[in-house]
Amino acid sequence: MNLEDEHSAPAADKTSSAESVSPPRPASFFQERPPEVMEVAPQLLRRLTRRDVLLFGMGAIAAAAGGGVLLPQSTLERLGVIHEKKNWPKKEWLLNGALRIDDDVAEALYSRNRLVPTYTKSQITALKNNYNGATPDPSYIPEWRLTLEGLASGLSASLSIRNLLASFQLHEQITRLVCVEGWSAIAWWAGLRFDDLLNAYPPMSQAKWARLESSVNLGPWGNPDPYFVSLNLSTARHPQTLLATHLNGKPLRVEHGAPLRLLVPVKLGLKNIKAITRITYTADEPADYWAKRGYSRYDGI
Amino acid sequence: MPPSIQLDKEQVATSTPECQAGVLVVRRHHLLVRCSHWLNMPILLGLILSGLSIYWASPIYRHKPDPRTGNFDPLADVGMWMCAHVPGLHQYSSPPDWVYNHISLGPGMLAVALRLHWLCAYVFILNGLVFVVGLALGGGWRSLLPRRTDLRDALKMFRYYLGLPLAKLARRTWPHPRFNTKYNALQRVAYFSVPVAGLLSVFTGWSIHKPMQLHCLAAIFGGYDKARIWHFWLMWVFVLFVVPHVILVLADGWDTLRSMIVGWSTRAGRSEGFWQ
Repeated sequence: MNLEDEHSAPAADKTSSAESVSPPRPASFFQERPPEVMEVAPQLLRRLTRRDVLLFGMGAIAAAAGGGVLLPQSTLERLGVIHEKKNWPKKEWLLNGALRIDDDVAEALYSRNRLVPTYTKSQITALKNNYNGATPDPSYIPEWRLTLEGLASGLSASLSIRNLLASFQLHEQITRLVCVEGWSAIAWWAGLRFDDLLNAYPPMSQAKWARLESSVNLGPWGNPDPYFVSLNLSTARHPQTLLATHLNGKPLRVEHGAPLRLLVPVKLGLKNIKAITRITYTADEPADYWAKRGYSRYDGI
Repeated sequence: MPPSIQLDKEQVATSTPECQAGVLVVRRHHLLVRCSHWLNMPILLGLILSGLSIYWASPIYRHKPDPRTGNFDPLADVGMWMCAHVPGLHQYSSPPDWVYNHISLGPGMLAVALRLHWLCAYVFILNGLVFVVGLALGGGWRSLLPRRTDLRDALKMFRYYLGLPLAKLARRTWPHPRFNTKYNALQRVAYFSVPVAGLLSVFTGWSIHKPMQLHCLAAIFGGYDKARIWHFWLMWVFVLFVVPHVILVLADGWDTLRSMIVGWSTRAGRSEGFWQ
């Protein structure tokens, strides 16, 4: 509601007297119009002012309270607003809702036919060892096998790196790996297409997801801390989704996930799991290491 | 019959409210423009606080790691310098985090910061649409369009604001530049640029957020890494706008502040306006 709605009749009647104080009508569509001058009874003006300022004040208080609740617990504690952990289920619901909407947007943007940009060798940048905890001891590599489960055959498969390199064609690509933290690196990868593996070892018909696991991953203090990610099969079938075996033309080193890692450039780096030991195809969305820690589940970029 | 200023005093004293001497008012801001204007306050605060927490995870500006502390983030250096030199901060428990503890949600809060940033970002986009609809319905967009004389006139206004405190001190008259538009040129430049900065923030934000699916958008800003730099500095455009904006509105008086709440102004006859 605005002033004019409540007082349109007098305003309309006043145009004749308002015209006398207005400059001539504008010539162009883009030219600024002279303001509409209205005459309003002082009581009405006071009443409307009081109403609007009160409404504004209530809105400001609501916004401050709502905004304050939305801030993280530790921030509120530091500010001295709260002194102990409280749980507002609605807050989690709202923030997780935003995360889910964002995941839906990412899924809607994704297309199997849209390729990510590729780069030239001169654009390659350094790629750091980003093992979240300690880098695993390379002693696992000689014994390494990839286990496939949830296959259409109902059996599980166990493959060595020799099997994989002998049975699949390797594809090379120089793509950007983008970390959720914001940094990125352009690297030269080679590996087999995940799509080829899916064709060679088809998953069960109702499978929509892959759970990829690395049992050799270590936690921050060198403790065993298996890493696992969920990957929708639609993304797994993207032509640039590789099960990478090589970096910069050489077999992967332990810090980059020897002997086989996921390279899925349409997802954040945290989905690009290193040293995969098991892939399980499932109908329902499997758990995800970082989604459990408050990050998105889909992570499409 | 509508009220009229020609009514004589007796009639005013005995009449019903409708028949009293009226106050001349002009419409300033459409309801939707006002709503989106004020909503920007909590939204931008949320975006900046969470945005700097996201920045903390991987600062775009970094120097060679300090051999002693291993620190590479200039903002952490600022915190350490402040805690070493500013009285009262010597006991601060975590000097490298001082800046992030005061202008962000805090360090080490990437997951919560991202969730809050997405929530605020989607609301910011919707709020921008509300603003555009309000400008279209109220016709206010015409008052924001840049004019050929704006740069020169904006400099005149800038000079006026710079000289005003000195002129007051020297008790000299310091005339306000005359204009016959809703906003003066400096206001117009600012009120036009800030929505453009908002639009660019949204586009650079999407470039960073979906650098693969929207790589064509990121390419406009020079690619993923450059889009991050754009996004970072666009935040400072808002900060640098808000400070003088608030000071000047408060200096201008209640009518200007009120007009953004109630939508109209009683300055129907201000000398430098349309209505002289």
